[in-house]
Amino acid sequence: MSTLHAAAPQTAEQTARSVKSKKLLSRTLLWLFLLLVAAFALFPIILAFFGSLKTNLELTTGTTMLPKEWKFSNYLQAWNTANFARFTWNSVFISVFTTVGTLLIGTMAAYAVARVNFIGKKLYVTIQSCTLFISIGAVVLRPQFDLMVGLGLQKSLWGVIIILISAHATAFFMLIGFVRAVPRELDEAAFIDGCNFYSVYFRVILPLLTPALGVTALWTFRGAWNEYILPLVFTMTQPALQTLTVGLAGLKYGIGDAAQPQLMLAGACLSMLPMIVVYIFANKSFMQMTAGSVKG
Amino acid sequence: MNQAKRQINAWTFVAPSLILTLIFGVYPIFWALKYMFYDYQGFGEPLYIGLDNFERLFRDKEFWHSVVNTFIYAGGKLLITLPLSFILAVILNRALKGRQLLRAIYFLPTVISASVMAIVFYVIFNSYNGMVNQLLVGSGIVSAPIDWLGPKYALLTAIIIAIWGAVGNYMLLFIAGLQNIPEDLYEAASLDGAGPLRKMWSITVPMLGPVLQMIIMLAITVSLKGYESIMVLTEGGPYGKTEVMYLYLYKLFFPVSSGGTSIQQFGYGSAVGFATAVIVGLITLIYFYVSKKLNDIY
Repeated sequence: MSTLHAAAPQTAEQTARSVKSKKLLSRTLLWLFLLLVAAFALFPIILAFFGSLKTNLELTTGTTMLPKEWKFSNYLQAWNTANFARFTWNSVFISVFTTVGTLLIGTMAAYAVARVNFIGKKLYVTIQSCTLFISIGAVVLRPQFDLMVGLGLQKSLWGVIIILISAHATAFFMLIGFVRAVPRELDEAAFIDGCNFYSVYFRVILPLLTPALGVTALWTFRGAWNEYILPLVFTMTQPALQTLTVGLAGLKYGIGDAAQPQLMLAGACLSMLPMIVVYIFANKSFMQMTAGSVKG
Repeated sequence: MNQAKRQINAWTFVAPSLILTLIFGVYPIFWALKYMFYDYQGFGEPLYIGLDNFERLFRDKEFWHSVVNTFIYAGGKLLITLPLSFILAVILNRALKGRQLLRAIYFLPTVISASVMAIVFYVIFNSYNGMVNQLLVGSGIVSAPIDWLGPKYALLTAIIIAIWGAVGNYMLLFIAGLQNIPEDLYEAASLDGAGPLRKMWSITVPMLGPVLQMIIMLAITVSLKGYESIMVLTEGGPYGKTEVMYLYLYKLFFPVSSGGTSIQQFGYGSAVGFATAVIVGLITLIYFYVSKKLNDIY
């Protein structure tokens, strides 16, 4: 307090100016901090992009960030020689079917749980939440693989897809919230109009859930697209079935001869690109999903 | 009658989900609970050996070394990630020009695959010819290239990658929590003459309480479990310096080309899987207990 009084002889104008310059300083520091973190978030992506356009020689010995000569042919080489066309197709295949399957199974279960007090509901929900919390890591992959051998699916992408769909607990819990948000009166009105349990699902719940389905689909698609360990284990001996993540990591050991870092970066950009493009258009949905998991 | 029909209807809708979960989610856990008492290497007849696997586990230096590494890895990641994402959340929760764009930039890393990013970091952090070293040496910040993936710095590099991928996610979770705090509390505090720090300690932290506790618990379990990016980056090397427990576990089931054991060990692996799950569970419980105590004192 006494220091404040000591400063009192200052004129009002001086005080105002010092407050203003203090504010300016703190604003500058704040923005410096924010931009620094933004640079940290973007630098690997930017370096990967510029690096993917350099020659192997420039990438390993050059000292500038920008490529001297923009070698777009790296992408062509990755696409053709390094088999990224195949990897991309496999990734798309897995992600699309996993998303469709997860949404179908998740919405059906969520609708039943949200609307009917069926016998064993508590047990079912408990089992679902247990799968979220218990994690014994890679151990589960072994019995899962054996099961797929039993079904004769270990040599196709369907094995991976079915296992990814079976891990739908997160989507299920998100979808329950969405179904509960649909007013029950709508179901009842539909029942009076002659709908049954199934037609209410198809004609009332699903149409009203569309925006929520989009958000859940994005979430599931991202998970399947980025999955690495499961497709790795299932395609170890079958290069033709590998996804982008698996094929890309395989480049670490070189294709035939020495490792080619410029191809690794081109491949990395190819596999990041679809997610980044989707993100640019739908970043609000992505963030809404994450935020929603806290509000629960 | 109608009620019975409704029961059946509901069950037909839950059945696909339940069957898939039981087969691919629950059965593997019981598989592991069985084989952790067996000597089983994937071929031949599994041999029941009682608690021998656990005896071996307690003597397995490599495993306990990986547990220590896991704590360093998870601890280092959380020590930076949580405060940083909290600060960002507090800043970006206020009216600030361009905050939507900044949020989107910070969150961007979370949409990219950990394994893909590990490859990118592997190339740009490469010891003698990686782009990061080129830029650091070129601009004179360091005099000699840093061996980012060598024995000395590999774990640090892995932690940097983990932080890079996590900050945006936790920032967003914190923002969601902050938005639940009523604005008038801050207004009332301002009228009473509270400064920004005072408001932080007397309103934000206590009001965020349960959400904060949940987010930190989530962060702890997620960071103890993460091993994908390390697997791609270093496979646990060099000399086991980046071996974390879930990666060690993975190698017991799917031996990798470089380092570690080269024989599949399903029986022992199941025991290790059980132990890692228990370790994660214990830490979560301890955290839960301590944070509850702290809440009570507060």
